[in-house]
Amino acid sequence: MLKKLFVNSAYFLSTSHSYQTTKKFFFNLLEEDSYRYKKYFDFFMITLIVVSVIILIEEVKTPIDNYLLYFNNYFISLFFLIEYFLRLWVNGNASKIVIEQDEYDSMLSREFNFSVAIKKIFKEKLKYILSLRAIIDLLAIIPFFHQLRLLRVFILFRVFKLFRYARSVQTFTSIFITKKFEFLTLFIFASIIIFVASVLIYMMEANHTESSIQTFYDALYWSVVTISTVGYGDITPVSNEGRFVAMIVIVSGIAVLAFTTSLVVSGFNEKLEEIRETRDIDSINKLKAFYIVCGYESISQEVVKQLSRNNQIIILDENPAHIEQARKDGFRALNYDPGIIQSYHKLHINIDKQVKAILCLKENDVENVYTALTVRSFNKNVYILSLLMHDTNRKKLTFAGVNEILYTKELIGLIAKEFVGKPVAFEVIHSLRSEHSAISIEEVIITPRIAQNFPTVELLESAKYRVVLLGIYKHTTKHFFFNPIDITLVEEGDYLLIIGNKAFIQEYEAHLHTKRVKK
Amino acid sequence: MKKSALIFGYNDFSLQIAKNISSKYKNITIFKFDRDRERKDLVDYNIESFDLGDEWSELKEKHDIENSIVFSVLEDDAENVFLTISLRAEFEKLHIIALSSNKESANKLLMAGANKVIPLVQTTATMIVEMLDKPRARDVLHNILYEKSNLKVAQIEIAKNSPFEGEHPFEIEWSKKYGVIVLSIIQDNSESEFIYSKKAKHHKIKEGDMFVVVGYQTDIKNFERVIGGSECQ
Repeated sequence: MLKKLFVNSAYFLSTSHSYQTTKKFFFNLLEEDSYRYKKYFDFFMITLIVVSVIILIEEVKTPIDNYLLYFNNYFISLFFLIEYFLRLWVNGNASKIVIEQDEYDSMLSREFNFSVAIKKIFKEKLKYILSLRAIIDLLAIIPFFHQLRLLRVFILFRVFKLFRYARSVQTFTSIFITKKFEFLTLFIFASIIIFVASVLIYMMEANHTESSIQTFYDALYWSVVTISTVGYGDITPVSNEGRFVAMIVIVSGIAVLAFTTSLVVSGFNEKLEEIRETRDIDSINKLKAFYIVCGYESISQEVVKQLSRNNQIIILDENPAHIEQARKDGFRALNYDPGIIQSYHKLHINIDKQVKAILCLKENDVENVYTALTVRSFNKNVYILSLLMHDTNRKKLTFAGVNEILYTKELIGLIAKEFVGKPVAFEVIHSLRSEHSAISIEEVIITPRIAQNFPTVELLESAKYRVVLLGIYKHTTKHFFFNPIDITLVEEGDYLLIIGNKAFIQEYEAHLHTKRVKK
Repeated sequence: MKKSALIFGYNDFSLQIAKNISSKYKNITIFKFDRDRERKDLVDYNIESFDLGDEWSELKEKHDIENSIVFSVLEDDAENVFLTISLRAEFEKLHIIALSSNKESANKLLMAGANKVIPLVQTTATMIVEMLDKPRARDVLHNILYEKSNLKVAQIEIAKNSPFEGEHPFEIEWSKKYGVIVLSIIQDNSESEFIYSKKAKHHKIKEGDMFVVVGYQTDIKNFERVIGGSECQ
């Protein structure tokens, strides 16, 4: 009966939408760095910790108000306690373990094994409880029992809790973890030197009447101060033998210090790429709309250069040399293979909301087809544009789900045709397109304010601002009206196509956006 | 209009150019190196062999060079420059259009004597950026270039005794009166000046000026009649 109830509740919890959403919310809030509200939670917790430590410091010399003590011991501890239990809850999935056990047992036509399931759950939770972070969390709650005055020192563990909330500290810790073996070797080496030096100096100096080293503790203290190259000078050897030991310790100290420094530096260098990547991904998350460019070769370099004037761009390329070049050129680039789904997951972005288009600009059809297919396998809607290098592969790109294909050779053919057939049109249009020409064609979207201020074409007064209104693109009919008549309505969402000097177009746009007082 | 087209290069570019210009030229000849492998998709065209060391005497004999246009679309930039410079050295008035992979070689090709250079990378990139950044403007320009709508760009010369002689072009409301948009003016065979540019502002309309206009075919014809000029290609 109890077993059945247990299994049923596990199924209920795993299918309950509200339970899962709540759990997901707390998981994000506590553990997911990319979650929008996590930083506010972290900030709140850091504030609690700082307040708690300030009260502790204040308490050392001056008696403080009972309310503050009450606040420190109960209120803050209660928060930490709630946080601890929430973390315990969101780390691991008990209902999943029960369901898996139930399915496994029913597959083997056995009765549900309650004890195995409980053991597995316990093991999973225990793994979390015994992790360093969880232990620090627990120790930080202990001041709750403030009657035990000795335990007050555990408030200091609250400071260690800061490790959780500050990412730079985490980076530093991760360097120590990756260089664990080297640090251990260094630690053992230093410990042996310190121990041997302490014994030696104790032997040489302890019986000397003028020496300050009278106990082994004094000798140990002297060794540590000397090997660290700090050398306070409060204890100094007086005998010749003692000074000889000091010389050996000093030389060893230099070696230890140099080794430590080089370890930290090399650890940082190794982590540098990772740190930069995390920083890049963080900044990408904050972008509202951007293009993803796959590949950084000759054509894509030029596209990125031109497109970056008005847009945000992220470059993905699996070739480190290309990425290095992109970074040198001042663009945001990640050494991720655009042909792997994982690369897009790592970015933690909402493709539908944030990505304007994905551009497959590698000069290789096989790779572009592969990239397009990869993107389509997890997103059906995002706009994909691809280069086509050989016409025989056109169908493959279409089949892979590319929305727009640009075949460079066909483009050259069309340009050649226009150039020989209609040189005037070609030159005029070419000059509008050229980035070096002062005259260009621009699209101006009609905002609600423009529509309100200039309800008809007549009021737009383009000639006054020395620009040419080529026409208006009506968003309702998706039709372009060339040289529209004066009474044509200007509505929100329409586009004006303006030709003119870039500076004048800017001035004209500013004029359109200026707020007007209605007469 | 030149009568025949000579395309140097035996590749996808040659095929696309040949396809696109076939309606405009009676004779199209594609020149290949002996080392180039045969292609099935180019068999419909007249194919001849050439070598960069040629002295072009055979070319002179076989083709009416004065009435030909040359496309230099070899895939190697250095070979393209060499071909252009050798053709220019031999034929001073030949019209050469060359393809370059980037802006740097485009400059070299112009120095070598090409009349027009198409930089592949920059042109493709500009098209892609236009597709993404200004899709509507791109569509309109595309339609004008490829005659998918009735809109076109034309160059019209002002005839003698035109009613507009002596007036400032920017002061006349061409679009309202004639349905065409005057984009730029070419005066005294210099470069075209945008209608609102400083230089164009000080000029008065006179015989021989050229107007670059955008409009529908019928409006352009009417405008020609009014202005007393003729469309030039």
